Amino acid sequence: MILPRFDVLVPNSVDEAFAMLSRYAEKGIRILAGGTDLLVDLRRPIIPAAIPSCEGCARHKSGSIRSTVDCGWWESDSSRESDRALLTKVQDSIHKYPEYIISLHKLKELRGIAVNEKVNLRVGAMTTITDIERSGIIREKWTALAEGADSLGSPLVRNRGTIGGNIANARPAADTFIPSVALGGVLDIHSEKGSRKVPVDSFASAPGETVMEKGEMITGIEYPAPPEFSGSAYYKLANRKALEICNVGVAVWIALEKPGGPVTDIRVALGAVGPTPILAESVKEVLVGKKPEDANIKKAAKAAREDATPIDDHRGSAWYRSMMVELVTDRMIRLAVERVGGKV
Amino acid sequence: MSKNNSYKILNTRLPRVDAIDKVTGKAIYTDDMSFPGMLYGAILHSPLAHARILNIDTSRAERLPGVKAVVTYKEAGTQPYGVSPARYDETIFCHDKVRYIGDEIAAVAAVDKDTALEAVSFIKVDFEELPVLLDGRHAMDEGQPQLHDMYKNNICARVNWNFGDIEKGRKESHIIRTDHITSKMQDAAFMEPQSVVAEVDSHGNLTMWSSTQAPHYIQRTLAMALNMPLHKVRVIKPAVGGGFGPKASCSTVELATCLLALKTGKPVKTTLDREQVFLHSRARHQFFHTMTTGVKKDGTLSFLEHHCILDGGAYASFGIATVYYAGSLLGGPYRLKNMKYDGYRVVTNKPACGAQRGHGAVIARAAFEVQLDRIAEELGMDPIELRLKNVMEAGETTCNELFVSSFGMKEALEAVRDSAAWKKKRSLAGKTRGTGKGIGAACGFFVSGAGYPIYRSKTYHCTVVTKVDEVGGGVTVSSGAADIGQGSDTVLAMITAEELGLPLDDVRVVSGDSNLSVDLGAYSSRTTLMTGHACKDAARDIKRQILEVIGGKLNIPPEKLDLKDGRVVGIDKDIDFSALREEYLQEHKGFMDLPEGPQLTFREASRIAFLEIGSVVGTGSYRPPKLGGSFKGATVGTSPAFGCSAQVAEVSVDLETGEVTVDNITGAHDCGFAINRTQVEGQMQGSMMMGMGEALMEQIIYNDKGRIMNANLAEYKIPTSLDVPHLDAIIVESNEPHGPYGAKEVGEGAIMPVIPSILNAIYDATGVRIDELPVTPERIIEALKKKRENK
Repeated sequence: MILPRFDVLVPNSVDEAFAMLSRYAEKGIRILAGGTDLLVDLRRPIIPAAIPSCEGCARHKSGSIRSTVDCGWWESDSSRESDRALLTKVQDSIHKYPEYIISLHKLKELRGIAVNEKVNLRVGAMTTITDIERSGIIREKWTALAEGADSLGSPLVRNRGTIGGNIANARPAADTFIPSVALGGVLDIHSEKGSRKVPVDSFASAPGETVMEKGEMITGIEYPAPPEFSGSAYYKLANRKALEICNVGVAVWIALEKPGGPVTDIRVALGAVGPTPILAESVKEVLVGKKPEDANIKKAAKAAREDATPIDDHRGSAWYRSMMVELVTDRMIRLAVERVGGKV
Repeated sequence: MSKNNSYKILNTRLPRVDAIDKVTGKAIYTDDMSFPGMLYGAILHSPLAHARILNIDTSRAERLPGVKAVVTYKEAGTQPYGVSPARYDETIFCHDKVRYIGDEIAAVAAVDKDTALEAVSFIKVDFEELPVLLDGRHAMDEGQPQLHDMYKNNICARVNWNFGDIEKGRKESHIIRTDHITSKMQDAAFMEPQSVVAEVDSHGNLTMWSSTQAPHYIQRTLAMALNMPLHKVRVIKPAVGGGFGPKASCSTVELATCLLALKTGKPVKTTLDREQVFLHSRARHQFFHTMTTGVKKDGTLSFLEHHCILDGGAYASFGIATVYYAGSLLGGPYRLKNMKYDGYRVVTNKPACGAQRGHGAVIARAAFEVQLDRIAEELGMDPIELRLKNVMEAGETTCNELFVSSFGMKEALEAVRDSAAWKKKRSLAGKTRGTGKGIGAACGFFVSGAGYPIYRSKTYHCTVVTKVDEVGGGVTVSSGAADIGQGSDTVLAMITAEELGLPLDDVRVVSGDSNLSVDLGAYSSRTTLMTGHACKDAARDIKRQILEVIGGKLNIPPEKLDLKDGRVVGIDKDIDFSALREEYLQEHKGFMDLPEGPQLTFREASRIAFLEIGSVVGTGSYRPPKLGGSFKGATVGTSPAFGCSAQVAEVSVDLETGEVTVDNITGAHDCGFAINRTQVEGQMQGSMMMGMGEALMEQIIYNDKGRIMNANLAEYKIPTSLDVPHLDAIIVESNEPHGPYGAKEVGEGAIMPVIPSILNAIYDATGVRIDELPVTPERIIEALKKKRENK
């Protein structure tokens, strides 16, 4: 592993952490929770992701010259707009790394699973994936989250990785992010200036990008208490049985009037078929008020497929993902209904 | 099968000699090594797949404090080297062109790794980009970018073979089918990335420790490319975390690190990052196979016409052998009188491919075994019956002149058929085809050691020197053989212990050092058979010398004496050793742990032998007899013996998502004779897992610039422990006449039937054939969709 140079800050309290985040915001600071994403992200690749290219300069008039690091011409104080743009790109690729890493490992108050008097579930941001996987109450009442935790990485990754980190990293395939969207999770986001609540389904704005601002940090996530006759399920479709990034991930939460009775509410979250985990809004329109019957579920699954915007990439093709969104949604709705005690 | 012989050590399940050190972390791998004043190396790789180098400016890198040397082709020279003398197409560093993303341009030695890496990033290279060639299928077409002047139309090697009479075979055929299979480049995914430490002493002797499979070949290449006398270069292999082929050839990281050590006069260590392992590659080629096979009405094979293009990436590496193996090893295990093969190994702007477990023959075998399955279906014949009808027997010679001296092919097939309850499960095939549950079978055939060295030479392939402790007691086996995790040190220790009647703990094996002996290395599944022979001879040489001394002293012919259970024993009668005991005790006044009992211990006997004749050293040397035919390329595929194997795989396929679960694999392999039964099973199980990964998951993915998109083990998928099915490994022992104690290979042959048995099982489960590897869920769904649309 080749890491860039940085200093590590270790706050002893959340307030100290907020102060540090604010103080170093402009110098570049990144939060270390479990590190299972951050360290991979910081690793300097052997072949740089962006190779600067010279589109023509005094030295290289033909314009077909590339250099591994620089061509020298942009080092001169060029005033050309395109030169400066390139300079920025080069610097981004070489020096995108933060000057500070803030490690939250001492902040015990950020770790833990609790159910409050309103029977809402609160999971601290530093709670490990293994903690979630092993929590009986989560498995019983917020099943999709437990299943997301089960399918994330390997035991080693789960022991280190945290739910706060998994969500903050904002990857479209994040295994606890997707069920958190279905389960209606709400994030507690704090900074030196105060705090705010952000629903998980509107947290990510693009791959790796979120609504969080400089100086902010996730401290926990709260899930509403499941009403009677509700259930959830998550499935991750992948090529092997562990250490996988899902090809398609679907989490379903469904609430029925009674077992077998009409659907009072449903939330379907889709992973790896859009720039962020997606809440398939149209499923609600199709299914709420209807009985969870074969034909209705099929329609709902089709609606989910319409909401997905998969792309072709090295992990899979758009057509396959699109087809699988419908299939897995169909299966997960049925499974969730079964878990409520109904039959399809 | 159980142990049914009089051996004490051989054919047992003794623990490996390196097991404790490895599981406790005590074993020293190259990257664990450190020397005072050691520098760290880093390499500059090309970011472009095809470009002309206009200028390299290292001045800024040289100015960085802590940098001790920066080397490019200017320091390294442009002496071409490679694996096969006829295709020396590499230089230590690129000088005129770069030919793939990752091609090595320069190296730096600095006081620490960070500084070395930073310096590398300061090296300025001006390139002129050239058009990039990525598609191996079209590499030979008119107008494609040309990679090397020496390879016209990008053809690095071609083979055109015609054995028997194809036209006659065609006329005799009742069914003729043509099928295609393509694969993707794959990585060996060994655990330990390549690592090198190099040091030069005050007499100009270069020593290199490296994570290598073949110290001998690396020694030769270093001497050649660095322009040094061979005897001044020593290569040592510490513990190695897997090789599977890519570590069998000399790499730039080895050459560059030696060059940096020569230049600075300091020890230098360079360890590759996982991304660099993918960039360096030298792993599995990409294959495009087209096979046309004919059979008679009764299932007898009448001919095979085989066309193959191998995409080998930017350089030849082992590729010439690969293109030959891809054709020659289809000569067995079936009787096939007529075989035509046209193979083309082309170069493209991707990392160079080389040897990987089952060298060249794995995808060809998969293609052929899948085709046999399709033929069996057309004939209405059980696929195992079709195979049994055609299998060769010991004493037969293939159409391309490979002689099989032992051959448990029939036994292996019958063993997997019966053990997997094939008949019962397969009888349902008509009803269950396409229902998501499937079963499939396949066979395999492989060399037990390449018949000839890579460079033309009369050299012995291996020598072993075994020396008795001069204080008496134990022995030390010295060998150049490379234990890369496959367990060859244990095999050498067991053979020596068996021959000398010693417990395994009294045999020390020192190996993997080019100064100890010549040994061509761990490739082509050669070590047990070849080094095993030399080891056995060396031990017998010692035994003879000791028994001659003892016999001489007691006036007993040495042939009436034997070494057993750590003692000298009389063969016909008990012998009075008291005079020799007295001699030994006189030598050891004041020692506590003195021998007792009526018999003479090995410790006494070996000490007395030393006192009598001086050093007791035994040697053994082995090289195969002249093998194979006289046609061009006849040497590739020859071997003193051939292994064969059969396998049944059972799978479950989710017909809606395409997810495959391999439920059971039952494999049988004829290894001639199992020196260590657990190790043989381990090789079989490892092959099953590796083959399963290649069948279902493994593929290097390139973007349109030639950049690898999954150069890490998160995105290059290999099976995890959760993907491992139930594995049943059955050992077949055919007693190979040319092998030590009847032993032959298992290391690579065992992978041969894995991919096709899984492919055939997937067909049984789904009703569709997928002719592109790996068979991912998406490819299965695509094939099922096509089938539905065509209905």
